[in-house]
Amino acid sequence: MKMRISLLAAASVIALGTSASADDYVVGVMSAQSGYLAPYDQPSYAGFKYCIDKINENGGLNGSIPVKTIVKDTRSDIAEGVKVVQEMIDEGAQFIVASADADPTIAAAQITAADGIPTMTFAGTAPVLTQVGEHVFGSYPADNQQAAVLADYAYGEGLRKVYLVKSPDAAYTLGGPEYFGEAFTALGGEVVGESLYSLNQPDFSAIVTTIKASDPQPDVIVTWAWEPDFPAFIKALRGAGVQTPVMGGDVLDTPTVRGLGEAVDGVIHTSGGYPNEGSKYATFMEEFEAATGTTPDNNYYVNGCDIAHMIEQAVDAAGSTDPAAVSAALAEIEDGEGIMSNFTFKGTDRMPLREVVIAKINADGSKEFIKRELADLDTLPKP
Amino acid sequence: MGDQVTRKPELAELQFHPARRKAANAVQTLVCLGLVVLAVLLLSLLFGRSGERIAVQMCVNVAAVVALGVFCGNSGIVSFGHGAFMLIGAYLSGILTMPAGLQRTALPMLPDFLAGHELGVWVAMPIVALAGLVFAAATGSAIARLVGASATIATLGLLIITHGVAIGAREITRGSQTFFGVPRITDLGVALGAAVFLIIVARLYRESRWGLSIRAVRDDPSAAIALGINPRRSRFIAWCLSGTMLTLVGALYGHMLGAFSPASFYLPLVFAHVAMMIVGGMYSVSGAVTGVVVITVLQDTIRQAEGGFDLFGVTFPAVFGLTTVALGVAILLIIWLRPQGLVGREELGPGSSSRMFNTIRSGTKRAAAPSIVGDGVLSAEHLFKSFAGVAAVSDVSFKAPTGAVTGLIGPNGAGKSTVVNLLTRAYEADKGAARFENADLLKISREGIARQGVARTFQNLRLFGQLTAYENVLVAAFASGQGAQGAAQIAIRELAAFDLDDMAGTAAESLPYGARKRLEIARCLAQAPSIILLDEPAAGMNPAETEDLADRLSRLGGERGVGMLLIDHDLRFVNRLSSRIVVMNRGQVICEGTPEEIRADPAVIEAYIGRGRTAATAQAAQNQEDEPSRGVVET
Repeated sequence: MKMRISLLAAASVIALGTSASADDYVVGVMSAQSGYLAPYDQPSYAGFKYCIDKINENGGLNGSIPVKTIVKDTRSDIAEGVKVVQEMIDEGAQFIVASADADPTIAAAQITAADGIPTMTFAGTAPVLTQVGEHVFGSYPADNQQAAVLADYAYGEGLRKVYLVKSPDAAYTLGGPEYFGEAFTALGGEVVGESLYSLNQPDFSAIVTTIKASDPQPDVIVTWAWEPDFPAFIKALRGAGVQTPVMGGDVLDTPTVRGLGEAVDGVIHTSGGYPNEGSKYATFMEEFEAATGTTPDNNYYVNGCDIAHMIEQAVDAAGSTDPAAVSAALAEIEDGEGIMSNFTFKGTDRMPLREVVIAKINADGSKEFIKRELADLDTLPKP
Repeated sequence: MGDQVTRKPELAELQFHPARRKAANAVQTLVCLGLVVLAVLLLSLLFGRSGERIAVQMCVNVAAVVALGVFCGNSGIVSFGHGAFMLIGAYLSGILTMPAGLQRTALPMLPDFLAGHELGVWVAMPIVALAGLVFAAATGSAIARLVGASATIATLGLLIITHGVAIGAREITRGSQTFFGVPRITDLGVALGAAVFLIIVARLYRESRWGLSIRAVRDDPSAAIALGINPRRSRFIAWCLSGTMLTLVGALYGHMLGAFSPASFYLPLVFAHVAMMIVGGMYSVSGAVTGVVVITVLQDTIRQAEGGFDLFGVTFPAVFGLTTVALGVAILLIIWLRPQGLVGREELGPGSSSRMFNTIRSGTKRAAAPSIVGDGVLSAEHLFKSFAGVAAVSDVSFKAPTGAVTGLIGPNGAGKSTVVNLLTRAYEADKGAARFENADLLKISREGIARQGVARTFQNLRLFGQLTAYENVLVAAFASGQGAQGAAQIAIRELAAFDLDDMAGTAAESLPYGARKRLEIARCLAQAPSIILLDEPAAGMNPAETEDLADRLSRLGGERGVGMLLIDHDLRFVNRLSSRIVVMNRGQVICEGTPEEIRADPAVIEAYIGRGRTAATAQAAQNQEDEPSRGVVET
């Protein structure tokens, strides 16, 4: 934590103290340091910063164009986000990295649309966010990719009847299960029931009772619930003696969920990446920890780093730093080299196609790698 | 009064008060506007483009908090419901102004009547305002019935319900997903223009008859009702105006963001606005403006430092989250040190009694004395009232005619005030009737009593504390149906009649006790009532003040023919004024007659002095009463 703050300090002092020289490539970073986005923006920025620094040590993007970052706190407030994006454009930003959610990213993208400045979300996964314009990009595997891969896995395991638990309060908690249902039905599965919950709902006993009474009984329950809803739900479910397998989204990839013991034993979830032994991801983790003292305990660190690589490859392919050229080049990248996983923008609507990991939680709190797979662009549920 | 002569020039001064008040109001409005414009100028000059961005956000917040204050400040009820109006304004304006092509992709399931309008923002605004008004009227009909915490909780409920509906109405709002493609037209000119416009509206409303009425209700609902002010209607008007303004602000906010979701109008935004309002001071427009300006400047100054900086060669590290901490500390300090907010209860700027307005010589005439009240009789007929089985009033009947003073006396607990409260519907009678002229007072609404010509004062002073003496009387004149000019003239007449001329611009709560007592009577006389129920008007006054009051009341009775039902413990005072006296004890009328008859009545003596006293003791007591010192009978 301390190291992260001093990293930010270094970044900010540079941002405040120096003006960009003509050769710099200026990247504006919206990063919520407090509020609901902080848990995603902070690690994303730490990873991004780490890799941008490494790139700068080697002379900049492709060894020739130094990167200057402007980082501004949005406090997870959308109005504040709008303000800082305008400020960053005033200060000459040529690329905007937006907070890890659709709202601030889309708000930012509408501002950057005028100059066509490429705008990429830290870890927003709602596939709709790129609909704003040709200059908007995702970086993390989108909800529909995660859901499609999970549906494919579930169907492959012989599961045929799914019960969906979703919350309309957030695009993520609603979209994930719906995409899953769509993909699962397309494969030949069946949605046998649905329940809605509210974010931060303290009691799930009514939903558990409905599931218990559901006829036919589901083979699998799918939810994109996050904390504290998922722990409350799974405890109520297992407490009521329902042992139906539960599958969920990448938000379950956290130490707190894994720490729930018996209740989460066997829970399957998606993830953006997995540091298999000897992989680039594993090396990144070691190096990052050695350099900063922080253990990158979620995928946002490495995804932040991969954003630096996406920018580098796009500028390289464009052969210039012109916003339109960079946007166009980024949209054409095919199997670009990343650390978490490789990324393909070509043929997508700019939510990159990346491998989705399926992992299993064990009662002892460990995470078990099951498989990694690319979603099939042709059968991907439409946003 | 020995100083009558020296007061003469001040009497003349009083006729300038309405013009001074107008001037003061205008200056106070200018102070609010000046604050905003100054803050905008400073931000733009000191910080250039980024200062302008901050100024846009600040102006939108000023508009929102000022609009919020129209309801909260004037009614005294904190509302969290304004997020609902902002949400409606933002979505509706967004849908109406969105480019048709974008709308087809972003909102494919939009109902036909909403789709494809692609209006200009300024064309959409009246529609948005109208929608806001309709929504405010629909919700206000319920919320205006409530006061205090239950009203606040109802507004919170409104916010939660609207938020939920917005998430559920996916065809129109895209649900919890981002709603985008809203034209971003809120630049500094638009935002500042809106802030200026809404400040002027809020200020005009606050000082208007409707603003005075709801502030009267806020300060003392019972007294306001006794003047014929309908609290529900006052709150309803404030809610509708505030809601309409907020819907417009919501549209502006939406056009500033360009993309938003229902969460953008939920608790974080609502709490931020309420915090700004409380920091600045909830009761005034300048408080709302000050709160926003101070918090914006505080937050954005600290935000600049948040990323770390060098000062005199010392490098300060970046500590994100400082703005939130600073905001929290600021709110704590203000609640601790200045619970009424930075500005306090009154508007910033000079009051109407400031020397600044001494040159104003535009006078308002004193209204002519009202015509003599015609013959009428207020009659109580077999009134009954019990509280939890204890009979407070039992079969009470008496008559009080106009043109005369009827005394109503009795020991503590005799039920005198209960009778007044029954006659004015503050309590519902269990049985019986009360008539004045042809009206059955127990059948009309509580605030309708005043319109029948029956006015009252209260045992424990009930003035509108934050209104000036002049405004206290003015609001009563307005409530009786006077126009602006007539009400001002009447206010001057009554203030002059009660020697309150040099205190016209003073807040009622700051007046000395005697003056407050006089003001309460002046206030009810402003409605030109036929009969006044005076509940212990002389309580707490010294003998000289009591004497003075008696002089005034008897003069009034003579000049205007106003009837009075006078309740007091000071028997000398009652005896002097009353032509007839009704004596109550233990909830019943025990005697009725002229003062002489009453004094001789054994039942009265027993009630006051107690059973078993000799006639001589009673006589002695009566002699004592006749002595010039003071004959207060306390039981």
